[in-house]
Amino acid sequence: MKRLNRRQGMVLLLVCAAVLLAAVTVAGILLEPRAMQADFSRTNRTPCAEYPFGTDWMGRDMLARTLAGLSLSIRIGLLTAAASALIALVLGIAAATLGRKADAAVSYCIDMIMGIPHILLVMLISIACGRGFTGVVAGVALSHWTSLARVIRGEVMQLRQAPYILVARKLGVPQGKIIRKHLLPHLLPQFLTGLILLFPHAILHEASVTFLGFGLPSEQPAIGVILSESMQYLTTGRWWLALFPGLMLILVVVLFAVSGEQVRRLLDPASVHE
Amino acid sequence: MADLVRKGKRRLALLLCAAVAVGALTGCGGGAAGQGAQEQPAAQTDTVVVAMGPTSEPEAGFDPAFGWGAGEHVHEPLIQSTLTVTNTDLTIGYDLATGYSASEDGLTWTVTIRDDAYFTDGEQLTAEDVAFTYNTVKASSSVNDFTMLDYAEAADDTTVVFHMTRPFSIWPYTMAVVGIVPEHAYDSATYGANPIGSGRYMLEQWDRGQQVILTANPDYYGEAPEMQRVVILFMEEDAAFLAAQAGQVDVAYTSATYSNETVEGYSLASYASVDNRGINLPAVPAGTDSEGRAAGNDFTADVLVRRAINIGIDRQEMIDNVLNGYGTPAYSICDQLPWYNEASEVEYDPEAAAALLDEAGWTMGEDGVRTKDGMRAELNLLYSNGDSVRQALAADLANQLGELGIACTIEGVGWDTAYDRALSEPLLWGWGAHTPMELYNIYRTIGDSGSAQYSPYSNETVDSYMDEALASADLEQSYELWRKAQWDGTTGVTQDGDIPWVWLVNVSHLYWVRDGLQIAGQKIHPHGHGWSIVNNVDQWSWS
Repeated sequence: MKRLNRRQGMVLLLVCAAVLLAAVTVAGILLEPRAMQADFSRTNRTPCAEYPFGTDWMGRDMLARTLAGLSLSIRIGLLTAAASALIALVLGIAAATLGRKADAAVSYCIDMIMGIPHILLVMLISIACGRGFTGVVAGVALSHWTSLARVIRGEVMQLRQAPYILVARKLGVPQGKIIRKHLLPHLLPQFLTGLILLFPHAILHEASVTFLGFGLPSEQPAIGVILSESMQYLTTGRWWLALFPGLMLILVVVLFAVSGEQVRRLLDPASVHE
Repeated sequence: MADLVRKGKRRLALLLCAAVAVGALTGCGGGAAGQGAQEQPAAQTDTVVVAMGPTSEPEAGFDPAFGWGAGEHVHEPLIQSTLTVTNTDLTIGYDLATGYSASEDGLTWTVTIRDDAYFTDGEQLTAEDVAFTYNTVKASSSVNDFTMLDYAEAADDTTVVFHMTRPFSIWPYTMAVVGIVPEHAYDSATYGANPIGSGRYMLEQWDRGQQVILTANPDYYGEAPEMQRVVILFMEEDAAFLAAQAGQVDVAYTSATYSNETVEGYSLASYASVDNRGINLPAVPAGTDSEGRAAGNDFTADVLVRRAINIGIDRQEMIDNVLNGYGTPAYSICDQLPWYNEASEVEYDPEAAAALLDEAGWTMGEDGVRTKDGMRAELNLLYSNGDSVRQALAADLANQLGELGIACTIEGVGWDTAYDRALSEPLLWGWGAHTPMELYNIYRTIGDSGSAQYSPYSNETVDSYMDEALASADLEQSYELWRKAQWDGTTGVTQDGDIPWVWLVNVSHLYWVRDGLQIAGQKIHPHGHGWSIVNNVDQWSWS
C-alpha cells in the first residue's frame, strides 16, 4: 500500500477528528432523554457491561450523560466560537480600516476585556443574562473574541500597505470592495484557525462556569454539572462519576486542538508545502 | 544540547505541576485536618467537638438582633438566656421567665423573670435588659418578623410588659428564641463578635470560617453544664466525613449520601425532624396577580387533580430511594407538633388517584399521558439549583407522577427567581419550624391581595381559624384552632379540603457520633441541619 504523504496524513487525521466530534454530537442529541431519566432501581452502579460509565445517585446512565454533556458542550462551543470569531473579524477589520479613532476605540475595548480575568467576566455576563443556556452562550461569546480580533487587526494593518491593495486603492476601487475582494480571502486562514482554536477555550470555559454554579441548571446533562456533582461523591469512593466524564472532556478538547493545528498547517502559506 | 535543556525544562515543569497538584490536594484536606489537630479533641471527659456545615456559621456573629437563634433557622442561643424554652414535646417551658400572662384582648403580655440571673460580666439581668433586647430586635431584625410587637417596657426589675400591635397568642414561641442581651454592654457593631450573655456558655474564641469555641458559664443560674467546652467546626459535608474518619471530631453532620458508609468508632445517629419537603400546587387558573406576575396553573387549579397527586405518590418509596430510608412521610408542614391535625395523614392509593383524575376529566391517552380537551397533563417541577436531595426528590416525584399519567419535567432554579416562578409552577420547598406561624405564613391570605404569599390560594374559613388562633388568649386553646385551620370537618388544607400544598417527606438529620458520647434526647429538629443538635449540649456526657 502506498504510504500517505504528510499532507494526506494530515487531511486524514483532520477528517477522523471531525467525524469523531460529529459522532459525539449526534449521539449526545439522541441520548439526551436517556441522560435525563432518573431510575432509582439502579443507583450508584460501578462501571459494568450494561453501564460502561456507571450510574449516579439518581440512577442516571453516566455514559448517556457524558455523551449528552459533551454534545451540549460542542454545540455551545460551535455557537460561541462562531459568534466570537465573527465579532473578532468585524472589529478587527473595523479597527484597521476605519481610521485612528475607531482603532483607538476597538483597541481600548480589547484591552479592557483582556484586563478582566476571563472566568470572572464569563460569570458576570452569564448572571446578567439570566444564567442557563443563553447566559453561558452570551458569556463565552462576548469574552473570547479579543485575541483573535487583535491578530486580525494586525494582519489587516500589514495588508493595507501591501502593494496590490495600494494599487487597488489608487485605481479607485471602493473600500467595501477592497475588503471583500482582497482583504477577506487573505484573512481566511488566520480566521479559520482562530475559529477552531476558540473551541477548546469555549468548551472549557462553559464547563468551568457551569461547574462553579453560574451556568446551566443542575438537571442539564452538561460536563460542568456532572463534574461538580461528582465532587460530592468522591469521598465515598464513587470515582467513576468524575473520571470518565473528565477524560472524555479532555479527549474532545484535544481533538479540537489537533484539528485546529492541522487546519493551520494546511492553510498557512509558510507550511502549506511541507 | 538545546534538546537536553528543553527536556530538563519540561521535566522541571512536570515536577512543578506535580508539586502544585499535591499542594492543592493536601491544601483541601489540610484545612479540615489542621483545624481538628489544633484542638486535640479525642474523647475527653468534658469537651465535645462538633462539625457543622459552613452555612451554620452566623455571619453577623452571635447577636440575636441579626439572626442568632432567631433567624431563618431557629435554635436556642446558648450564649444568651431566653425568656421561655420549648420542651421536648414542643410545649412551652421557662428559662428566665417565672410566669407569663396575656391580657384578654391579647394586646399585652406580662412576663415575670427570675432575679438570680447575671450576665457574665457580673451585672444582674433585669427586666430593663429584656425590654431593651426586644425593642432592639424589633428595630433591627431583618431576618425575623417582629411587626406584632409594638414596644416592650420594664414595669419593675423583674416584670416586663410587651405591648402588641395585634393579638399574637404564640408569642411564647418567639420568646423561646430571642436571646437577652445586656443593655449596658450592647453595641450593635461589636456585640456579634464579643457577645455577653447570661446563658449556659460563653464565647471563648471565634475564628471566622473555621471554628467557634464555647466554654461553660461558671455562674450560670441553672443546672451547671456537664460539657465544659464545646468546639464547633464549620466544614463541608465531605470534609466532615473525612474528619470523622480521621477521628478528629466527636459529632459530624452528614446526609443520606454517606449513610451506607461506616466509620470505625462512630455510629450513625438519626434524629426525627419536621424539616419537611413539599410542593406547592397553585390553586387558581393561570393568570397574573396584583403585581403583574404570572400566577396560577390551569392543571393544578382543579382540586381533584391536587387530591389525586396527594394520594398518588408513594412517600415511603421516595424515602427509600432518595433518603436511603432516613426520613418519615410528611403530611403537613407541622407533623407531630402540638398543633398538628392527624386528619392530614393519607394512604397511598394509586387507583383512587387515577379515579380522581378520570373524574376530573383527564383521560389516559395512548402515550401514557392524560389529556383533557386537547390539553396534556403536564407539570414542570422546580427545585433549588445545587440541592441534590431536592433534585432527587423532584426526579422521583416526576417518575411517580409519570405513572399517574402526568408528564413531568424538572428544572433547577436559583432563589432569585424561584419565589416568583413558584406562583405558577410547583416548587420543591423545605419548611418546618417550632412555631404554628408557619401555617399562617403559607396558607393565610395576605392583606387584600386575595392570595397567600408563596402560592396562589385563599380560603376564608382557614384564614378565620388562624386569625382566631392568634387572637386567642390561651395557648392551649389556640392549638385546637390551628388544628381546625388544617381541617375542621368540612374544609381545610388537607386531602378532603383544598390541599394547596402536597407534603412529601421529613428529612431526618444524620450525624456521625463517636462511641461513648451520650447525646441527650433531641426535640424534633426544625428545618436547617445546624445548631439544633447542640440545643442541649450542656446535658451531653461521655461514658
